[in-house]
Amino acid sequence: MSGEAGTAPAARRIADAPLSPRFGPLWRLSLGLSGLLILTLAVTLGASWLRGVGVWGVNIPFVWGFDLINYAWWIGVANGASLFAAILVLRRHDLRTAVNRFAEGAALMAVLCAAMFPIIHLGRPWLFYWTFPYPATFQVWPQFRSTLTWDFWAISTHAVITSLLWYVGLIPDLATLRDRARSLRAARVYGILALGWRFSLRQWAYHQVAYRTAAILVLPLILVMQSTVAFEFASTLVPGWHDTRLPLQFVASGLTQGLATVLLVAAILRRSLELGFVIDEEDMDLLGKLVLASGLVAGYLFLDEILAAFLAEPVRREAMLNRWTGPYAGYAAAAALLAVLVPQLLWKRSLRTGLLVPVLAGIGVNAGVWCDRFSLLIGGLQKDYLPSMWRSYTPTLVETGLLAGTIGLFAALLLLFARFLPVVSMFEARHDEHMEQA
Amino acid sequence: MAQLFTPRATVRFRAAIILVLAGGLAIGALLFFWARSDPAWNLGKPAKQPIPFQHSLHAGTLGIDCRYCHSTVERAAAAGMPSAAACLTCHSEIWQGASLLEPVRTSAALDIPIPWLSVHRLPAYAYFHHGIHVSAGVACESCHGRVDTMRETVKTQTLSMGWCLDCHRDPAGRIRPQDAVFSMGWTPHDSSAPEEVKAFYREARSRLTDCSTCHR
Repeated sequence: MSGEAGTAPAARRIADAPLSPRFGPLWRLSLGLSGLLILTLAVTLGASWLRGVGVWGVNIPFVWGFDLINYAWWIGVANGASLFAAILVLRRHDLRTAVNRFAEGAALMAVLCAAMFPIIHLGRPWLFYWTFPYPATFQVWPQFRSTLTWDFWAISTHAVITSLLWYVGLIPDLATLRDRARSLRAARVYGILALGWRFSLRQWAYHQVAYRTAAILVLPLILVMQSTVAFEFASTLVPGWHDTRLPLQFVASGLTQGLATVLLVAAILRRSLELGFVIDEEDMDLLGKLVLASGLVAGYLFLDEILAAFLAEPVRREAMLNRWTGPYAGYAAAAALLAVLVPQLLWKRSLRTGLLVPVLAGIGVNAGVWCDRFSLLIGGLQKDYLPSMWRSYTPTLVETGLLAGTIGLFAALLLLFARFLPVVSMFEARHDEHMEQA
Repeated sequence: MAQLFTPRATVRFRAAIILVLAGGLAIGALLFFWARSDPAWNLGKPAKQPIPFQHSLHAGTLGIDCRYCHSTVERAAAAGMPSAAACLTCHSEIWQGASLLEPVRTSAALDIPIPWLSVHRLPAYAYFHHGIHVSAGVACESCHGRVDTMRETVKTQTLSMGWCLDCHRDPAGRIRPQDAVFSMGWTPHDSSAPEEVKAFYREARSRLTDCSTCHR
């Protein structure tokens, strides 16, 4: 098979989107809105950078606030989505054709959003490279027992591997776009990005090895990444955090979150780019079931947390009770309601394959997991050992702006991705069509 | 559509990949060596002092003891800079009318310090105490160089954290007996420290390299 001649109808229709000269007012409006949010991000990042973390609501005992909540939350999206994509590739599951490309893309964008928070919360963000073991003139290695160095290794590893998985998958499709581009300039840009792909059998063989290797590399990440974040809490002596089951809860709720994000993006792309022929009802059905199942697992872990606390020592029990009945009880309840109950809508097939319920479930689960992280971080710190330190935490406008800003950045990157790159794998779609014909 | 790339494009692209990688390595190497170069630490650059004071004349030729002018060096964190009165002990008799010494007379008359510029300045987050170093047997010369030969006072050591740690990690070979702390160009008869000093510093090493020893 070579180039243009082998481009099957499905792939043609997928390629039409990035190659079309116009994209409509709705896309421009969405990009404009996310642009405004990116502006907010720039302003709030600038304030945090120039004035320092004093512009945030954090103070003893709340040494961590929105910074770590948002970090743990974005990492959840990245981890869940990339793990899901990697498993689909490795199992050669049919669903990969429909969801892999944008799941990998969403994972990469979420890593970028997540990476901002550990850097900006250093206080002296311009010295972030001190967490990297380079031959410094001060002749001291970074403290490898510090969570800051864990963050560095976890995020850089995740960023490298997720981008590898995404880009390796993109190469043959970039070559198709190169061959189908209408202007010389676009053809050249896609041509450079395609790295000289010629659709030769030898290249395909290498490509399969590379793609699957990148996917295998993602697998340990789920354990490393989410557990790293969870251990940052668990390795402290805070009663509500000092818990060996925390990594499990982070991994499980992070997977729910990643799957829900994939479902949300799938529902939106399917409708807006008219990709129903490749992200079909079966795919939405399967995705919905996965979100529902993982939501139930997350719900089980919420229950387990409560029950385990009743079996634990009194201080641990009190910490849990304070999370569920204290001043931040609303967040714990919202977490359970949004992350566990909203996905229950997905029991009905006709709702799974629609637009509204997948979007609701996607937003609900993500909001719920955010509330869970808030409840853990803030609710966990609110009643520490010393009653004289019992305070309350109120996020400032800057912190809220950072959260909204990263959501804007994520949305803008996704919109640009949908505009200029194929959101669904064309070579997999082509492969599926050939299989059907055969 | 015309050919997208010329036949040489692949070669150029591969060369670009190698160049970018090599460039990254080169920048890393450049930063590595620059961070260890003299200009990065302001070595050998005299400050523009209000009076052209010569250590080579006062400490070298005349042999005035360091402590005569830096009088708190044995007791306090700061070694102390000479007041106008200290200068005038001699200069009320010699070079009385010299215009070069006008800032000294002005300072004495107005009772304000002479605005000397610091050549060895540590950042505020580093705690340094001259007294403890002197009493532990660290010589002036070890950090400040052969001041007795300097016409203009300059830094000869980087005073970087790594440089401090070089000694804090293994002080035994670098300290002197008390009577040699203020001498210049001192060479020991026996370069290895006494066994009990070595034993002491083996034990004291962890204290000397604690973060909070210097960052309080």
